[in-house]
Amino acid sequence: MKKDYRTLEPNFVPARKSKKKIAGATIYYIVGITLSLFFILPLLYMFSTSTKTEEQIAFASGTVMMFIPDFSNIGHFFDNYGVVFGEYNIWKYAINSLIYAAIVIVFNVIVNGLAGYVLAKFDFPAKGFFNFIILFLIVVPIETSIIPLYSIAKNILGLKKNLSVLAVILPSVISVFNIFLFTQFFSSIPKEYEEAMHIDGSSRVRVFFDLILPLSKPIVATTAVFTFIGVWNDYIWPTMVLPNRGDDSWPLYPIQAALTSIQSIEEITSGQVMASLVITSLPIFILYAAAQKYIVKGFGTAGLKM
Amino acid sequence: MAIAALIIFIVFFLIFAVFFAIDYNRRKNSNRKYHKNEVIVALLLLIPAVVLAFFFVVLPIIFSFGYAFTDYDLLSPNDIKFVWFDNFRMLFKEFANQGEIFLSFRNTALFVVLVVPLQITMALLLALFCNNKRRGTTIFKVCFFAPVAVSLSVTAFLWLVILSPNPAGIMNSILKNFGIPAQDFLGNKNTVILWMVIISAWQGCGYQMLIFLSALGNIRKDLYEAASIDGAGPFRKFFTVTVPGLRPTMLYILITVFIGACRVLIQPMLLTGYQDRSMTLSYYMYQQGFTYRHVGYSCAVALVLTIVIGSITFLQRKLLGEKKK
Repeated sequence: MKKDYRTLEPNFVPARKSKKKIAGATIYYIVGITLSLFFILPLLYMFSTSTKTEEQIAFASGTVMMFIPDFSNIGHFFDNYGVVFGEYNIWKYAINSLIYAAIVIVFNVIVNGLAGYVLAKFDFPAKGFFNFIILFLIVVPIETSIIPLYSIAKNILGLKKNLSVLAVILPSVISVFNIFLFTQFFSSIPKEYEEAMHIDGSSRVRVFFDLILPLSKPIVATTAVFTFIGVWNDYIWPTMVLPNRGDDSWPLYPIQAALTSIQSIEEITSGQVMASLVITSLPIFILYAAAQKYIVKGFGTAGLKM
Repeated sequence: MAIAALIIFIVFFLIFAVFFAIDYNRRKNSNRKYHKNEVIVALLLLIPAVVLAFFFVVLPIIFSFGYAFTDYDLLSPNDIKFVWFDNFRMLFKEFANQGEIFLSFRNTALFVVLVVPLQITMALLLALFCNNKRRGTTIFKVCFFAPVAVSLSVTAFLWLVILSPNPAGIMNSILKNFGIPAQDFLGNKNTVILWMVIISAWQGCGYQMLIFLSALGNIRKDLYEAASIDGAGPFRKFFTVTVPGLRPTMLYILITVFIGACRVLIQPMLLTGYQDRSMTLSYYMYQQGFTYRHVGYSCAVALVLTIVIGSITFLQRKLLGEKKK
């Protein structure tokens, strides 16, 4: 039997413990805050600078004020954002990115989901052939086939003006790893559900859309979140395949690629540069905050890769 | 090129047909025959994925391999000759003469050697730091993770401003308070790689921290209790329970961080442009293949890179992976 020492020495032991605890906690929080500052100071700088005028930025230089927004000009807080939106039209690029992401997510889930569904639930010859190719592509680290990918895109899609949009979208639609994830997840859905629908006379495709996808919300959401982040943050591939920023009214560049051209505008101020960076980062921050649950699940599945 | 693609397609189709025939015959005499309708629907539903994967995943890999032995140049795409090992000969000659490929190899190696231990150690320490039930650890986790949410290009543009060589730049104005004269952090060939390492670790380690945290959560609590009963202190517990428990995760993180570090491209591209002091192998490959349009040579570099990374990854798995007995 374990003896409860608190009943033996009612006052002394807990008191000593709690003092030690308070000291420990103080050190813990001081270390924690210092570490946190290392990670978020650059981001605080980004945000606070985006709300300042040039004089305020120069005035704050070298002091703690660099990292704190200046609330004395609360009326002009979002002036830089106004310029970035109104004059440099960053919203057009943001909408481009959103459209690319939306199309890619929908087709990614359908194409890879159907493939995963077939590999998980269908019985057909040469299944092993497909499974082997998928496993091979996941396990073997193939370095950057981006240059041949570019030459293929150039050859089959031509990369003429508006067609080059396809070159941004199509390669992101296919994801071998997502096929693998979907296969794993769909395999765990009991066969009885499907069979019940078969008896009702539903086709296999209907079973996929009406039963499998609704039952697989967590994995679909995880895939959608990571696909969105991937498309929104992609920088190199769009700059390779899309035509350079022309004079036409609606450019094709997504937002990350457009950052380079926005940066090179001659009369841009550093406050406006930071505002454009904040606008570019904001959707991802919001997404991470909103989809926490799914992202943590995604980390669970990351372990599957090995 | 269209002919090559067609040949590759036919080869794949034949392999598929062989597998199909073998599987089909194996079941022919058993009572578990394939249903004709099911097979047709299955193959039809696979078509979109197969077509896209063929053009945008499989074909680039095979072409990358094939182009490495040709003089393919995007400026004269209709005139491709097999030059066998000329690209590799040129590559090794460049390397021996300490040309650009030598510099980019040196920079990449330095970057990898510094960033992999730094980033993993930081991630592990942060995970251990957050792995308790104190109030406020969630806020710390959010802070440590925040840079992960920022894209590579935004990170580069942000740090470009922070590390500006201008005496009024952020880092310089902070250093001025300590009496340190203005530095050109990214222009100096001794510090540019170091800053790339710091920026990458700053941005990336929150991601690995979360993976470590979920692995720490999966370690069985009764093992710690058993260790306590045996009289193990916190350090003893760390090395006998935590470290073995983290081993598979550690291997996964080591391999992914290593591969990610080897392909570092956007940081040097946006922080300095194509410069001797910061070019990396991926950047060199991109520059040769895309800017100079020497696709053949670029693919030869990619092939060498794949072999090097593949074999190091293989070694890591062999040396650190679970011993199978």
